[in-house]
Amino acid sequence: MHLDPFELHRPTTVDEVVRLATELAGRFDYLAGGTDLLPNYKMHLNAKPHLVALEDVGELRGHSETRLGAMERLADLEADRAFGRVHPGLSDAIGEVATPLVRSSGTVGGNLLVDTRCFFFNQSYFWRSSLGFCLKADGDRCHVVPQAERCYATFSGDLAPALLVLDAEVEVAGPTGRRRLPLGALYDPAGDGIRRTRLAPGDLLVAVHLPPGAPGRRARYKKLRVRPSYDFPELGVAVAGAWDSDRVRSLRLAVGGVETLPRRFDDLTDPLVGAPLTPETVNRLADEVQRRVRPVHNTFLPPDYRRRMVGVYVRRALAEAREGSAG
Amino acid sequence: MSSRDLLSFRLNGHPVDVPCPSPRVLLDLLREDLRLTGTKRGCDLGTCGCCTVLVDGRPTLSCLTLARLVDGRSVETIEGVSPPRGLNPVQAAFVAHGATQCGFCTPGFVVTATALLRSNPRPSRAEIERAISGNLCRCTGYLKIIEAIESAARTEG
Repeated sequence: MHLDPFELHRPTTVDEVVRLATELAGRFDYLAGGTDLLPNYKMHLNAKPHLVALEDVGELRGHSETRLGAMERLADLEADRAFGRVHPGLSDAIGEVATPLVRSSGTVGGNLLVDTRCFFFNQSYFWRSSLGFCLKADGDRCHVVPQAERCYATFSGDLAPALLVLDAEVEVAGPTGRRRLPLGALYDPAGDGIRRTRLAPGDLLVAVHLPPGAPGRRARYKKLRVRPSYDFPELGVAVAGAWDSDRVRSLRLAVGGVETLPRRFDDLTDPLVGAPLTPETVNRLADEVQRRVRPVHNTFLPPDYRRRMVGVYVRRALAEAREGSAG
Repeated sequence: MSSRDLLSFRLNGHPVDVPCPSPRVLLDLLREDLRLTGTKRGCDLGTCGCCTVLVDGRPTLSCLTLARLVDGRSVETIEGVSPPRGLNPVQAAFVAHGATQCGFCTPGFVVTATALLRSNPRPSRAEIERAISGNLCRCTGYLKIIEAIESAARTEG
């Protein structure tokens, strides 16, 4: 498979990236690990004439318990056992991304901003041409929801749910300077499978910051996929909590892999704070999350099955998080 | 092609200067321009691990690596992880255990396993299984492959 011609840029500082990104707005993609972008380029999916490689920007590298550089490779986080002990849920999610070879190049920022996926999108040009293409690339209709004017492609990153439940913030550099926002605010609820973030032209994801309370939180990430290696999530459930003996001190729950965005369910978990988690409250929570999610038929497993597994995975993630090391 | 398209890196211990346009992936550069065909093209999309090489010692999918980004780095291919004569311990163990069937995936497995044993000379069986989980063998001879890597670890350790 060949790549269409593009111009490769190799900036070395964040300022230089922002300048390039502003100048090339709409005509470029960032190249992080390349493990998702280059397969898409090989299949001629929305390839751009410029690539801005982030490899040489030193500030985007490195990690600590409370900061993850956007270009930090997943394998380097995985190899840091001390990091894994203080972030058990995040460690689950990192270790479940694709394969060790993909994680060797794949990055934190790349996983947070990974393109959405759909059975009708992630196909060769020839395959797609036989159906007349789709909204997300080269066409004007959706094959999943035929009357739709929006794209239903599925958010398929594993790290986002695991970071959402830790109240992570992202640091973004842009033409007007730096800003920090909650990770949840990076994803645009008014967007769709095509326009999925609130990042503006010229913006660059620099790092993820975890609040001081995040290390040691009892957390788990449970991923549903067909093969126990390689596959993108058909569903991902993350929970993080703290308990005072039996009583819930804090609890967060997020779901990815079933809609165009990852989502947190604070309105369901906040009322559980201050009381013990009983089997009844866990079941009510699991049932309500399951009732709310809206998977469509655009991945390998049927949406009804994925929806039914939401409840199962919420119960499992919660049970395992409570058994995990104390926070 | 302008001079800035000239790529310089170390390949199996030797310096290489080769012209290389931006859209060329490392796999194509190795196989087609440098005629090192030991590195195999399987899926060409990062799924199968047949194209695994070491970049600065790190197992890397050469089909998803822009060749220009290895400028100044060190690349080892299956040709480089083998000694000039004979076989390295992983290769010898693959032969002794019958861990190859059609052989197409073998270079990727050998490179991945060699990197594993360099960083972790006595891996557990679970660590071996995890390390090779990005390498696919469509003849499905995984058991022999795992046994071979275990045996190579014993020989080397």
